[in-house]
Amino acid sequence: MAHVAGWNHVACALFITFDIVARSLFGFSSQATVEVTGYMLAGGIAWGLAHTLARRAHIRVDVLVNRLAPRRRAWLHILSLALLLGLSVFITWAAWELVDESALFNAHDNSALRVPMVVPQGIWCFGIAAFVVMAAVLLAESIMSVLLGDPEAVDALLGARTLEDETAEALEAVAMAKEAP
Amino acid sequence: QMPASLPAGPRVPIVAVTQPLPTQPQYTRVDVPYLREMMAARTGGRIEVNLSTHAERNLGGSEIVRLVRSGQADIGGGTLTTLSGDVPILDGIDLSGLAPDIAVARRIADAVLPVANRDLERFGTRLVLMYPFPAQVLFCRAAFTTLNDLRGRRVRTFGNSLVDLMTAIGAQPVSIGFPEVYSALERGVVDCAITGTGSGAAARWPEVSTHVSTLPLSWAVAGYLVNVAWWNRLDPAVRTFLEGTFAEMQDKLWELGAAATRDGIDCNIGNTAACRIHNIAARPMTEVVPTDADRAQVRQIFESTVLSGFVRRCGARCGEVYNQVIAPLSGIRFGG
Amino acid sequence: MIAIIFLLLLLVASIIGAAATGQALPVAEIMMLVAVFLVFFGAGVYIAAVLGVLGVLIGLIFSDRPWWAFMGQTLWTPTSNYVLVAVPLFLLMGEILLRAGLSERLYRALNVWLNRLPGGLLHTNIASCAVFSAISGSSVATAATMGSVALPFFQGTAYNQRMVLGSLAAGGALGNLIPPGITFILYGLMTETSVGALYIAALLPAALVTALFLLVIFVHGLRHPMEKPPKLPLGVKIRALSDLVPTALLILLVLGSIYGGFATATEAAALGVVGAAFFALLEGKLSFRMINASAEATARNTALLGLILFGAYLLNYLLTTINVPQALSAMIAGLPLPPWAIMLSIIGLYIALGTFMEGFSMIITTVPVVFPIVIALGYDPIWFGVIVTMLVEIAQISPPDGTVMYVLQGMRRDRGPITDVFAGVMPFLAVYLLAVGLMMVWPGIATWLPLVMGSVR
Ligand code: NA
Ligand code: NA
Repeated sequence: MAHVAGWNHVACALFITFDIVARSLFGFSSQATVEVTGYMLAGGIAWGLAHTLARRAHIRVDVLVNRLAPRRRAWLHILSLALLLGLSVFITWAAWELVDESALFNAHDNSALRVPMVVPQGIWCFGIAAFVVMAAVLLAESIMSVLLGDPEAVDALLGARTLEDETAEALEAVAMAKEAP
Repeated sequence: QMPASLPAGPRVPIVAVTQPLPTQPQYTRVDVPYLREMMAARTGGRIEVNLSTHAERNLGGSEIVRLVRSGQADIGGGTLTTLSGDVPILDGIDLSGLAPDIAVARRIADAVLPVANRDLERFGTRLVLMYPFPAQVLFCRAAFTTLNDLRGRRVRTFGNSLVDLMTAIGAQPVSIGFPEVYSALERGVVDCAITGTGSGAAARWPEVSTHVSTLPLSWAVAGYLVNVAWWNRLDPAVRTFLEGTFAEMQDKLWELGAAATRDGIDCNIGNTAACRIHNIAARPMTEVVPTDADRAQVRQIFESTVLSGFVRRCGARCGEVYNQVIAPLSGIRFGG
Repeated sequence: MIAIIFLLLLLVASIIGAAATGQALPVAEIMMLVAVFLVFFGAGVYIAAVLGVLGVLIGLIFSDRPWWAFMGQTLWTPTSNYVLVAVPLFLLMGEILLRAGLSERLYRALNVWLNRLPGGLLHTNIASCAVFSAISGSSVATAATMGSVALPFFQGTAYNQRMVLGSLAAGGALGNLIPPGITFILYGLMTETSVGALYIAALLPAALVTALFLLVIFVHGLRHPMEKPPKLPLGVKIRALSDLVPTALLILLVLGSIYGGFATATEAAALGVVGAAFFALLEGKLSFRMINASAEATARNTALLGLILFGAYLLNYLLTTINVPQALSAMIAGLPLPPWAIMLSIIGLYIALGTFMEGFSMIITTVPVVFPIVIALGYDPIWFGVIVTMLVEIAQISPPDGTVMYVLQGMRRDRGPITDVFAGVMPFLAVYLLAVGLMMVWPGIATWLPLVMGSVR
């Protein structure tokens, strides 16, 4: 899903560039750039959420947490995730209500393409729903780990990323830059 | 008209979200005096309106029907073209080229109100009043004398009927977000942009464009919606009081629309003596007076292109409604 | 913790309000909110969840409307907003530059020239952000782009990570102050002041803030001296300049397309992506794998921001629904104080609101109430526009809630705690506030230039 979200941003760049070139050179414009790129942004955000959670990249203020004993720390991780899950369930419900309302109105946007709103909003809602599933699975896994007496495992699932994780990733990016052409 | 008093009774708190920006004269000269000040004074504080604008509530403008339907606001205002994504028939009231002057625009708005409400009531809302913004006109960064001069120029438009009109003229419609229009005009990303005469003055477009046309392309007709369930629950005395208020506000808003249209032009062209509502342009623009040929061309394009585009988007029933209600006033029938 | 002060202010306001109208005090509720907020931050709860849950609680306690019924729309509108589209595009541009090795070359080249200065490469952070701000109208985009270019370079160097992050956040907070800027356009629209005059008025204050930032780094450099590398011959230095060429051309493409009238500021970000990919191609680094990795990183950083946006807009909606910003502004307007004290209260209000609110809606909810007071007190509208913009920028870098800081945190490769960013930004925040103070003492810093250039109304 994250790859879809990422390539969606690439596509967005190409789409806008195409629009600029077409407008400047060929006197032609898609007439829906503002709307469509906005939908791409919303979809890109929503579809990236789950992956970002799995990679432990969502932001927390976790100084205090990291100083606690593993067992307490594990429970705080679980509390944090539970709150996030609660909020995202609510957001998913709200997003679904929006899609449902757009279907009731048979709403279209005001661009030349007359995009039916259920399409971009439905894609958006699906991404958020996937986030809920990811959060729920992680939560279940974490609670299992604590109950089975392995609180360190929760750190691996939810804790801030360790230096090793990050170094590996940074090295990968830099390595890509250093690769022979 | 707005009654002078209201019998005592339980307090009625009302949430109203009306205009896009708090600086608009529609807000400062009508909404605030009527809904906030006179309402509290004449009802002895019984009706208390919590009044705000789209910008203050972080609203885009196209979601007003939903805002009122969900009961977030009891009264919500918005331009009909913007709302037409949710309720397509609303677009038909304000098609570009439909009303050559403000008197016709008002007759059309009055006639369509009951028909539009049949659609809106399906979603738990109804229109209680309609009013215009200043005439929507062209602002360009280079000289032009007739519409034909716009051929090949990039024009920032909004709404489908303006796109149809500009395309038919031979101009190139461009889609850019409103906050970027100022700099787009400044840098020449677009050659022209369309907005209300006064809105252009308020957005300081004279700083970045040189010529302004006085040919009204449309009126940006807007309306206030109420939540039907809330409306029906009101004490009948309160409802009567509000109906009177809305009727008086509607007259004031149409007067303001007419005055602001000319005032916007005067402010844009630096005519200090006549510029009272908006702010005077630092760099006066040149007024481009439309020719009879321009008016005829707009009317012809309306008949041949804009109208059929509307019916294609809105459905065959909209064509029938148009022929029944609007055609007698505009003199142009759909489908000949 | 300005957020706490804000909630306490809310408490004071509601006490005053209740005393005036004789209503029951929601003291218990507000104390509970303060407590919830503290506990959540301490417990390391996700920032989006802190904001969102606080919003939900405020809604449940204070709102008599079915606010949840409109929540889908409240979250959809800002996250599908065209103005934000530039953010992932600039992020993507940065990722591509990084993987093509271009950002490293830029920094190596600059390093050759700057590394003997106290503070060294940290100066480059501010300077490059200032240059980029002259293209971009958004602080977040500025921080995103320069952060993605600069952060990898500092990886494994002796530079203090907090200063690195702090300087980048501070540089990002120049994005709106150095023209062009979205805040000025908005303020101009709201108050009918000339956007052009605001831009000119902002030049000297922007220079002042930039100079203060550089001074902070200079002092930091003197107090924490690093081993000075040997002097390089001029020839080596000149040759190093060639590494600057691709980036310079890219900046020229982005800037040129805006100033040449080919693209808007948002669209230029897309050109930046394509341009970056082009240079990667020239370097022989463009591949499916490389774009794929860049895209994935962009998706992650966009989602990280998006989730916080969800929480922030939820809270924002409920605060405006119950009229908090308007009520606070009105309260300040009624204070029986001398003009400068009222102005200080207004500044305090903006700083407090800024911890919670997004700049756009903060301006729109408060300026209509505050602006007439400011004018009545005899302050210059253009001067106040610059002040408001500075305060909005300060809000972006005032912990615990500031988008610019989250963007940088999201881009870190070493993923230390967010408090590194908070701590690093503090000295810069202090001098930013100092600049506001100087502007209060000498308003001429803002008003002199427009007067000389004759662009005052
Ligand atoms: Na800028
Ligand atoms: Na902040």
